[in-house]
Amino acid sequence: MADDLTHYEFPFPPAAEDSIAMRDGANENRPAGVPESYDEGKSPRWTPKAIADVHAMAQLGRYQLRGFNTFSTRMPTFDDLVFVPASMTRLPLEGYRESCETETVLGDRPGLVSNPIRLAIPIYVASMSFGALSASAKAALGYGASKAGTMTCTGEGGMLEDEREASNLLVYQITPSRYMLDLEHLRMADGIELVMGQGAKPGTGGVLLGMKVSERVARMRSLPLGVDQRSTVRHPDFLGADDLQVKIEELREATGYKIPIFAKIGATRPRYDVAIAAKAGADVVVVDGTEGGTGASPEMLLDHTGIPTMSSVRAAREALDECGKSGEVSLVIAGGIRSGVDAAKALALGADAIMIGTAALMALGCNSPRYFKEYEALGTSPGRCHHCHTGLCPVGITTQEPRLEERLDVAGAAERVARFLTAMTMEITLLAKACGKSSVHNLEVEDLRAMSLEASAFTGVSLAGIDRPFTW
Amino acid sequence: MTEIEIEVGARPIREINEEIRSAAAAGRSVVVKDTRSRHNLAIGLGEGARVRFEGSVGYYCGGLNCGARVEIGRNAGWAVGEAMSDGEIVVNGYAGMSAGTSMLGGLLHIRGDAGPRCGVAMKGGDIVVEGKIGYLSGFMAHAGRIVALGGAGDACADSLWGGEVWLGASPKSLGVDTCEVEPDPDEVFEIESLLASRGLGKPEVDWRKIVSAQRLWHFQSRDAKAWLMI
Repeated sequence: MADDLTHYEFPFPPAAEDSIAMRDGANENRPAGVPESYDEGKSPRWTPKAIADVHAMAQLGRYQLRGFNTFSTRMPTFDDLVFVPASMTRLPLEGYRESCETETVLGDRPGLVSNPIRLAIPIYVASMSFGALSASAKAALGYGASKAGTMTCTGEGGMLEDEREASNLLVYQITPSRYMLDLEHLRMADGIELVMGQGAKPGTGGVLLGMKVSERVARMRSLPLGVDQRSTVRHPDFLGADDLQVKIEELREATGYKIPIFAKIGATRPRYDVAIAAKAGADVVVVDGTEGGTGASPEMLLDHTGIPTMSSVRAAREALDECGKSGEVSLVIAGGIRSGVDAAKALALGADAIMIGTAALMALGCNSPRYFKEYEALGTSPGRCHHCHTGLCPVGITTQEPRLEERLDVAGAAERVARFLTAMTMEITLLAKACGKSSVHNLEVEDLRAMSLEASAFTGVSLAGIDRPFTW
Repeated sequence: MTEIEIEVGARPIREINEEIRSAAAAGRSVVVKDTRSRHNLAIGLGEGARVRFEGSVGYYCGGLNCGARVEIGRNAGWAVGEAMSDGEIVVNGYAGMSAGTSMLGGLLHIRGDAGPRCGVAMKGGDIVVEGKIGYLSGFMAHAGRIVALGGAGDACADSLWGGEVWLGASPKSLGVDTCEVEPDPDEVFEIESLLASRGLGKPEVDWRKIVSAQRLWHFQSRDAKAWLMI
């Protein structure tokens, strides 16, 4: 052998190749041990998904588009934070005997807002459009929220009569596309939200595929029937913060200084964006983290744009503190909030209120284990479905097809939403009372400890045990 | 009925708009003086209101109008008549960017030129411009008519969903997904009637009618089912 460097020879005849082979490989023609490596692609870069993505793009000539929210496994979660309830240094409240205030007031600015929004609980239902959602789903969210003493938001598709009727409190959204925006509807709203971005896809406009642009949706949006609707991202009549300030004044003039004006931004640079929105005059700033949901979006935006909700809360609160707007301008946090526990942690980090979107859809029945065959037809199964963009929602929530929509029983779904909101609130008050707080709004950063360096670095929360935040 | 005079000067806009509204509620027409190009004048007025501004106005003048007749003596800033659903706004001078943004109905008449993005996101009603309209005018408009006697800047009617842009002179360039169609005599008659209703004589022009080419209505040459893949 050419690489036999030592010229050593066994004191016995050299072995035949046949007797060297261990012969326990899966394939007789390959050496033992190696075959597995042929099956298991171990490249951390060229994963089966990365390869499939190239195959898909090479065939379609475009990016993939889908609904739901990010599938990224790299997101920090609120699970990396724990509460440290009262013990010796603080006194807990009796969980079942002492009360804990949950009322949440948004836009309490005498002189500018005569009718601030008073919610019985610190949670409300996020802006999701009629178009992305069925009319039944919008109505059920409205009734459920009303029963729980809280509100909903229209989303970009205009104000649906069904939702206005159902929701005791309704925020009317103004997006760059300005669907169905007129004075009559502005004056029917309990609050107005100017959208500068959303967490799932900051910096890009909305998408609604033609399958969902039904006759009613098309009429409300002044669109031709069945078009693939793409919305602009930049507002048509204001650009920067100075213009926004004028726009906010216009909306106050139009609505008689009665209702609060919200500014919604996708979480990207909350430290600066929140300060600018507050200084421009917004009464409520809504920060939507990258885990936020969407009816349809280019998939890569979901995974690769925006910053996680958890990391944006402290920055947003500090921004308001720094420009002297805390207590005057309310901070709403959204994006992937799943439970009262997540919500309580966001409140402790500095939010005044929490918005839930996807979780509210789950309460309606999203991904519930029924209609298995139709989940299968979408190539998915209950618990894994993310096909909001197709308009073929098996449970009648993200669809405009009457056949599917009628599966959503509004009364039952509304009751589930109300119960879920109530249960979330109970989780928050349970945690707050354990931490010795007689109001959910008294939860504070000191009530939390981080269980990972990452969580501590993102939030400034002290690390568990050592009681110091991870610093650079 | 006598006119009520309101001075703007440096007074709070809220106060001025309140005075305009109460005058309108009393059925009186209003003359507004010393306007100083202030923003947000005459927002959200309703049917029956009549307001004349003697000077120039700032942003959003006559915004969210639902029936009022507003006349601006000189120039208007950004987004005059934005989200108007009914009524009539006349600008005797020039209009800045985004005149008639997302308007749903009514009529906006600009005697001079209009800036860029005139009629952006428009959903109904008519915009008549005696001069020319700036670049990206009619951008992503849904419905309604924009008539510009003096032609248009670059990217005219870009990404139009629907509606019509009528030009009495050439645009610098047409936007994406536009299509110039030969207007039939009935349509020309309608446009001429609209101009006549504005006191404008029949113009000696070769009308150019721009509509959506509808290629952006759907993701190009893609079967909708292909979007169901993931």
